[in-house]
Amino acid sequence: MKGLGAIFRRELAGLFLAPLAWILLFLVLLYQAYFFLLVLGAKGGEVNGSLVFVLGGGLPFWLLLLVLPALLTMRMISEESRSGMLEFLLTSPVSDAAVVLGKALAVTTFFALAWASGFLFALLVQLLGARPDWGLVACAWLGATLASAFFCSLGLVSSAFFSTPLLAAFMTILANIALYALPSLARAWRGRVGELLGAALERVDVLAHFQGSFVSGALDSAHVLFFLAWIAAALFLAVRAVESRRWLG
Amino acid sequence: MISVQHLTRRFGPHVAVDDVSFQLERGEVVGFLGPNGAGKTTTMRVLTGFLPPSSGTVTVDGFDVLRDSMEVRQRIGYLPESVPLYREHRVQEMLWFQGRLRGLSREEARRRAGVVLERVGMAERARSLIGRLSKGQRQRVGLAVALLPEPDVLVLDEPTSGLDPLQRLEVRRLIQELSRERTVLLSSHILPEIEAVCPRVIILHRGRVAADGTQAKLVEERGETFVRLELLSGTNADVSAQLGALPGVREVAALGRAGEFEAFEIRGEGEPCESIGRLCHVNGWVVRELSLQRPTLERIFARIAFELEPAGRSEGAA
Repeated sequence: MKGLGAIFRRELAGLFLAPLAWILLFLVLLYQAYFFLLVLGAKGGEVNGSLVFVLGGGLPFWLLLLVLPALLTMRMISEESRSGMLEFLLTSPVSDAAVVLGKALAVTTFFALAWASGFLFALLVQLLGARPDWGLVACAWLGATLASAFFCSLGLVSSAFFSTPLLAAFMTILANIALYALPSLARAWRGRVGELLGAALERVDVLAHFQGSFVSGALDSAHVLFFLAWIAAALFLAVRAVESRRWLG
Repeated sequence: MISVQHLTRRFGPHVAVDDVSFQLERGEVVGFLGPNGAGKTTTMRVLTGFLPPSSGTVTVDGFDVLRDSMEVRQRIGYLPESVPLYREHRVQEMLWFQGRLRGLSREEARRRAGVVLERVGMAERARSLIGRLSKGQRQRVGLAVALLPEPDVLVLDEPTSGLDPLQRLEVRRLIQELSRERTVLLSSHILPEIEAVCPRVIILHRGRVAADGTQAKLVEERGETFVRLELLSGTNADVSAQLGALPGVREVAALGRAGEFEAFEIRGEGEPCESIGRLCHVNGWVVRELSLQRPTLERIFARIAFELEPAGRSEGAA
């Protein structure tokens, strides 16, 4: 796709030229290290379980995913629309899809980097004499990155729809909470809501798909596809939202 | 090069551009003139492919802005009024990014970045952070960004707004230079700007084309010459009547008092300055000003703006 590479690199540079990304990266590292050590202690030194815990196995990871993608994507479209940068990009000979995709890839790369802290921990424990399961860590890392990409895509949709970054972030976080909560609600209400609706809600159960696959170390193409499909759907919506900004002016 | 036919653009119930048609030949330099909200920016945004038209057709070099948007965008260098630049980047990085967006190779992008920076006189600031530049410098970098793809058409939206007079002069000189080799469409609400740079002017008013032609043609067709006379007031009661009685005088408008003086505008055949002067001399009127007012673009613009305005507002503004 023409211009995709240029936009991806610009967005990545834009992320890391602002102090926010570095601060978040540092905080994520501390946060992950804290929970890694905590769980490592609680599990009596079980290395693999602890590594997976910080890469999607435990609630702390999902708490991060609730907030961080929203923070990093909130400005990407709404702010650029205000500053006129979007006008520059949308009058360049690149498609709207390339603009959105470039941004999504850039912010996903940030998370791929952030979750690479898992490899760092694995390396450290290996140097200390333990034997981490590298395949398991890699699988969990891939899953964590895919899940992040999904939440970032949602953030981009929100950023494209709403006019201020703050509102965009707020709406993303709300949507994320709903996404976490709905499937469990559906399970609890199984008898009361229709069977079809219940089944539909389980289809969007991110956590279940995640824990059913990546955390156990089994790279299941069905689950990878699940995330890719939802990412594609969200990005499609974001592209449409950007397009609608043209019509609204 | 650019053909706009019956372009209309609505924002909800508001009609921003209303059945606008004009043509630009290759190499022409045209000034878009109009008060704020006349539809200049909207027309430019349609031309550059940012906004789709509500109706009508717009083509650039034969390519339709809706159907062949990419071809059109490839041919246009656009500097929006907001001068979009990534403030956290360095000047040269912004230019390289523009080059990469246009599909240039890394080497070509770097070469052209050097050329255009030289062109706008910002070569020594290539490594400066854009956020640290002054408004005038940012404007010039914006121009460099628009120039980098070496476009056939330059669309510049208010390229001198917010600049101090010296910077404005610089940017104006730059545009004059550029206009020698390109088709340029330039908007402004500052008249001397357009007068200095653009041989042809399109005046937009309330979304419509109010006038279109070379400056000379507009002045000739729409302009009028009149005599302005200022007298010490109280000198004579029937000045208007006496002036009106002069041969060749068609109309005398008393503009009322300004301080101690009273002003008149006298329209008629030929140039009645001399006979008016003689009349003043004979009557012993104390003259402060007696001058022939030649038509200027500014007067024509003001007249178009006020004539087309509803009566209430034109009185208030006058």
